Amino acid sequence: MRMWAQSHLCQKRPRVWSVLAVAFALIFLIAASSQSATALPAFARKYGLRCSACHESWPALNNFGLKFRDNGYQLMNDRDAPIWQNPGYWPVTFRITPIWHRVSSNQTVDVYTPGNPVPTGSTIERITSSGFDLSGLDFHTGGTLEKNISFYVLPSSDPTAAFHFESVMARIDNIAGSPWLNIKVGRFELNNLLSEKRILTLTANGGIYQTYHFIPVGDGNIYGQMGDNQFGTEYVGHSVDDRTRVSAALLSSNDGNVNLVTGGNNYSGFFTFDQGVDVGRLGVDRLGAYAFVGEAATYYRTNGGVPIPGSGIGNKGFSRVGFTGQFYFGPHFDVNVVTQHGEDNPWFGQGYGNPVSPSNGSEGATCTSSVPAPGCTLNNSPGTTLPAGSRSPVWNGYLVEARYVYSPQLIFLGRYEAERMSQQATPGTPSNLGNVSNYVIGYRYNPYMTSRSGFAYHGEFNLFHQDGTGPNNSAGNATNINSSELLFGIDFDF
Amino acid sequence: MRAKQLLLTVLVLLVCSSLMFAGTVSGRVTYTGTPVKAKPIDMSKEPSCAKQHATPVTTETVVTGPNNGLENVVVYISSGAPDDSQVPSQAVTFEQKGCQYIPHVLVMHTNQELKIVNDDQTSHNIHPLAKVNREWNKSQPPGTPPIVDKYEKPEFISVKCNVHPWMHGEFAVLTTNHYDVSKGGGDFKLPNLPPGKYTITAWHEDYGTQTADVTITGNETKEQNFTFKAKAY
Amino acid sequence: MRLISAILFIAMLEFAVAAGLTPLACGQDVPDVGPKPPLAVKAMESHIGDLTGHSADAKNNYRRYCVGCHGEYGDSNGENAIWLDPKPRDFSIATFKCRSTPTGTLPTDEDLFKSIGRGFTNSNMPIWNTLGRQERADLVAYIKIFSPRWSNEKAGEPIKIPPEPPVTIESIAHGKALFTKLECWKCHGPHGEGDGPSAATLTDSKDNPIRPYNFALGRDDSRFKCGSTNQDIYKIFMTGVDGTPMPSFADVIQPNDAWDLVHFLRTLQVHRHSKENEVLSAAHGVIPPYVDKTPAPTAAPADNKTPGGGQ
Repeated sequence: MRMWAQSHLCQKRPRVWSVLAVAFALIFLIAASSQSATALPAFARKYGLRCSACHESWPALNNFGLKFRDNGYQLMNDRDAPIWQNPGYWPVTFRITPIWHRVSSNQTVDVYTPGNPVPTGSTIERITSSGFDLSGLDFHTGGTLEKNISFYVLPSSDPTAAFHFESVMARIDNIAGSPWLNIKVGRFELNNLLSEKRILTLTANGGIYQTYHFIPVGDGNIYGQMGDNQFGTEYVGHSVDDRTRVSAALLSSNDGNVNLVTGGNNYSGFFTFDQGVDVGRLGVDRLGAYAFVGEAATYYRTNGGVPIPGSGIGNKGFSRVGFTGQFYFGPHFDVNVVTQHGEDNPWFGQGYGNPVSPSNGSEGATCTSSVPAPGCTLNNSPGTTLPAGSRSPVWNGYLVEARYVYSPQLIFLGRYEAERMSQQATPGTPSNLGNVSNYVIGYRYNPYMTSRSGFAYHGEFNLFHQDGTGPNNSAGNATNINSSELLFGIDFDF
Repeated sequence: MRAKQLLLTVLVLLVCSSLMFAGTVSGRVTYTGTPVKAKPIDMSKEPSCAKQHATPVTTETVVTGPNNGLENVVVYISSGAPDDSQVPSQAVTFEQKGCQYIPHVLVMHTNQELKIVNDDQTSHNIHPLAKVNREWNKSQPPGTPPIVDKYEKPEFISVKCNVHPWMHGEFAVLTTNHYDVSKGGGDFKLPNLPPGKYTITAWHEDYGTQTADVTITGNETKEQNFTFKAKAY
Repeated sequence: MRLISAILFIAMLEFAVAAGLTPLACGQDVPDVGPKPPLAVKAMESHIGDLTGHSADAKNNYRRYCVGCHGEYGDSNGENAIWLDPKPRDFSIATFKCRSTPTGTLPTDEDLFKSIGRGFTNSNMPIWNTLGRQERADLVAYIKIFSPRWSNEKAGEPIKIPPEPPVTIESIAHGKALFTKLECWKCHGPHGEGDGPSAATLTDSKDNPIRPYNFALGRDDSRFKCGSTNQDIYKIFMTGVDGTPMPSFADVIQPNDAWDLVHFLRTLQVHRHSKENEVLSAAHGVIPPYVDKTPAPTAAPADNKTPGGGQ
């Protein structure tokens, strides 16, 4: 379920509220998004291969699984079309994870004096909750409709069983018999070498790549989300052995939302390239680069003060570029690296761009003309000017994920992510405001490995730190977020 | 002179003794129960063979004779014979005629030359399904020279022609030269056996294997019969 | 607080690992596929070009990629094998389809290396060209441990393939004459569509039904089980496809005549753009009758002792 981050009201409000709002939104957004795309026993059943053939440790892909995916979920032995399957074969896999977890974070809490039902003040307390819980449910269906025509449909629900379409795509593969020509249309995950949809972790902050979702504090650009599934069309080309891979996608800047609620004419592009190199005994290493460049609206025409959906203009630009690397050190150990240099237009930096109504009472409701609201979003209407000295928020981040694959059934991993602002949008803002450091360690143990179902004992611990976005202390200064999550679960799919 | 005479005498004595003392094991191989009826083979897909048989030939997996005799049973000395390592210099021949293998069961010694000839107007492919020896598969059109090969290890090998699926034969590759294949009423004979203790094995391609121990002391003919239980299908 | 978290974490970890190991100890429920043969040998090597493969280095990869079909003992009794057609290769009998060596002999290491990287079309054997070359070489060494033949026998001598002569309509005509004379059509059918009189009753060496190759289905991207080039076709019928009904014709075709047969077979792939089809359409799609211009041979020996001898 897409959650709109709370944004600024037209009046000036204390910075703390907007900061808090973004932080909450981020956490809610992350927690609410389900675990999408994973090992598909449906593929294993179709081809008789064990999960370990395509997955380094499911759900993360190895080179063979990456080629299978790049071929449009085809093995390319002329047995891919559905006519080769028993008519009873239905390419559906479901995945869900019952968990136990313990979440801990600092929050502002009202103070009560005895006898007085009205709070007399507030303080910052560490609130810890634990208990049994659930992840969302994914229904994956994907594969081939015919030889060289692939599809993927992923209805996905949050833990409350509210469904949305995480992924819906059709792909024409190997046009003119060439692996260099594949076109995909729909809503799909971006072609990141390190895929968030096949991430090995499940906690709220550790189960996503912070690098793919980072938004500076107060920034209204919700469109540069590399980790979200986006609407668009994608070209992919790869060599026959999948050593060289290149892609270019044209996306709508609507962060995967349906019904054209954002702009009249805002598009972005996502480009990737990577090259695999055979390094003898060590394996096959990959080096690559990506660029997510685009523009999104900052001005929505209004009717009675309410923004008209789909009327967004006033496009401003943004970019996320970086390098990717996958380094194998023999059959047991590998390291994945992603770097990012991000820049948003100063308008985004000041909070423009995100058409959300905070004043109609329901958190995260999209601005529509049927929802009465006095003022809606921070709107770049004609005549609006930026505060003096406004700058582009610029940041650099990187992600390092190390994996120890004891066997195809047991993997240990550790990940560190750092996002560091190098230029804040508003001069005078502390230079480290919004900086993120994220630590994850975990393991997954698959007690069996067949081609019928997947089952993993999952254990994970995550420490999330962000500068200056925590609750304010008694002196009115923003503290840092230091939240942790310990999670154990049984992750299974069929 | 005396030494030479002595040597000659000893040699003659030895030869005579082996000739003098050479027993025989003979007997009958029979079956009990009711064997599967041999089915007629439809060779209409190969007219050049079909016309060679006035009445259709029948399957040869189980071939019976008078008095419950069982044919095509390979009876051989499986242990005890001293001269078994000798490889005969003569080749054995496996013939494809009328889209049948003649003989149905061909016995040979390991490393003995095997000659396969095609006397038909059609191509055959020879496909001995060896599991211990090498499995090979060769095409043999009509009018081409015989295929010559040999087998190094003892094994009972099914032979088939893929083009004519009804063709089925057996190679029995043995490490002995004392063997016979039961014929007629299931009769077999193993002559020229010097005195000693022997194990005799009888093998049928469908009914399995049986063994018996026989001792030869001189010139006698020992009778040894084998009875196999017929299978219903 | 941190300490308690850490203790809890470790406790849960141990619990989870123990819980996970229990079903493993109890054994995995797989269909009963018969008694397990012991492994034939301890360690083997392979040599492909400048690469040396070691079986010990492939153990993890075999388990990851291969064991589901080929089985823990390489005898094609992987848990998925019962649902596959064609069945996975049984390494324990060391009979291989795609070789450059004569029928009944072991393939070269390079033959196996190529088979792994090429995959087998119309089967469940994937194209493992994503594995590094060293990884593939190690796997070639690994599959040798399943059969004692690799220790007792040397690989066969690769057949000599003469250079391919030009594609001419005469070559195609000769190929067609050979196709008829050698009775390929008995299984492959007169148009190579896999519908010959014997096609329906064909079984492989394990008595599984099998169909002959249907040339008419071949398009521009089509492959054979053992490759996709003219040279590969040459090797297929000159070494036979061991384990299947397809025999070797090495004793009955002269090497140069074999190229004519290759050219004719390409014309059976009517939907494929090939030099042979170009030549055929230049001749208006008509293959003329073959005129044998070779001089009559002198008296041939009645009997040929060496298996490799020809007509």
